[in-house]
Amino acid sequence: MKAKISALMDGELDAQELNEPLSALGEDAEAFETWRTYHLISDALQGRALLANDCRRRVVARLADEPILIGPLPADVARPERARWLVPSALAASIAAVALVGWMAFAPQQKTGPLLASVAKAPQPAQVVAARAAPPAPVRLPMTAATRDYLIAHQALSPRNSLQGMAPYVRSVSAESHPGKP
Amino acid sequence: MSRTLGALLLFTVAGWAQAQTTPEALDWLRKIYRATEKLSYSGTFVYQQGDRTETSRITRLADAAGGTEKLEVLDGTPREILRTRDEIRCYLPESRTVKVDRRSDPRAFPALLPEQVAGLTEYYVVTLGEMRRIAGFTCQAVVLTPKDDLRYGYRLWADAGSGMLLKAQTFDRDGQTMEQFTFTHLEIGNVSRERLRPPRAAQGWRVEQAGVAPADLSRSGWSVSAELPGFRKIVEIRRMLRDAQPVAQMVYSDGLAAVSVFIEPMPGRAEAARIGISSLGAVNVYTREVANHLVTVVGEAPAASVQRIGNTVEYRPQ
Repeated sequence: MKAKISALMDGELDAQELNEPLSALGEDAEAFETWRTYHLISDALQGRALLANDCRRRVVARLADEPILIGPLPADVARPERARWLVPSALAASIAAVALVGWMAFAPQQKTGPLLASVAKAPQPAQVVAARAAPPAPVRLPMTAATRDYLIAHQALSPRNSLQGMAPYVRSVSAESHPGKP
Repeated sequence: MSRTLGALLLFTVAGWAQAQTTPEALDWLRKIYRATEKLSYSGTFVYQQGDRTETSRITRLADAAGGTEKLEVLDGTPREILRTRDEIRCYLPESRTVKVDRRSDPRAFPALLPEQVAGLTEYYVVTLGEMRRIAGFTCQAVVLTPKDDLRYGYRLWADAGSGMLLKAQTFDRDGQTMEQFTFTHLEIGNVSRERLRPPRAAQGWRVEQAGVAPADLSRSGWSVSAELPGFRKIVEIRRMLRDAQPVAQMVYSDGLAAVSVFIEPMPGRAEAARIGISSLGAVNVYTREVANHLVTVVGEAPAASVQRIGNTVEYRPQ
């Protein structure tokens, strides 16, 4: 599970693989402690004093005072084990979202995709319909030969050419934008 | 709590005290623009992204017609691009294809004009960096640091004498270099027109015309709402892509970085749509499907920005 939690933090899990570690975080105290410790380590390594604060207990205390909202859940979300972690409250939702967005803002760009996926899955019972209408979470794709056509079409219209002449065009004909044909 | 506030205050003050745009730095950007426009040159440069490098030759002849420029990739298959003021031709030997992008109005190619340079300070802090010697030229560094995380930053090194750009880096919010262009050899002046000929082998290759025409997408029900702060629509056209497939293209820019939104009907496509993000150096490509159309967003901007623009694409039947 530790490996999965680490992969979750690094944004390396597919949308399908997210469920297991996310559920574990809700049910398994040890898993949650691992999650917290890994974040502390990550924060410490990257010198983020602000994020390292353990606000969990205060959040839990506040949550205890929050009213429980009851609303219909779509069939594929209404799994009890997830619902327990996804404390159905507006505060929980916003804190989960803020935590993920906060992490995202500090994470390298490559990791944005899968993390956005977790934001889209953040518990927002009151807005389930809206969340479900959001576009599917993006996955990492390799460049394809077709992409090169877009790169060529795009490059000609970038104002950056004014400072650099033709050099940036090299991306559009780069061997990497045309895999398999070095 | 007070500790948190103190830390916040410290960050804010540090950020504020860190840098202010200087007029000298803006003048340097104008100088680089003029050098790019006015100089004839030829040289070899290396493009680096991740652990990959690719060497290319670039040749430019400045003339009254706006100049002719040629880029030749020296590694792998000899791909070439020829550019004049109103036309771009890509010569691709693997597919024996020439891709032609022609404009009747050269002004349709967006530029960062000297009078627009000051506008960049809304989104970037522009400062001068250290002097450094690159490929035999003594260069002045100019740094564009983004004021938010919606765009990348740029470190540029230009010849102190001519203003010619010798090296350019794109960096992310952590200061990590995403990609880099560096001249390893450059000669200014003395370029013969002979060197700007199209490749001989290209006679008989298939020619794909982009067939660019102005467009108004909102009329057909498309909208890109809630645009990213600083990114304004600068171009809206219809064009051909690949095998005569009509595609709409809108370009958003903050004056320097650009993000293109391509919208095309799905049925004509040979391959199934792949939804997601891919990247090459500092360019991110985001693909999604909207109303049975393929939306592809291509931009020299962080993945989150490219994605945000892509996610606001909407179709409402008229």
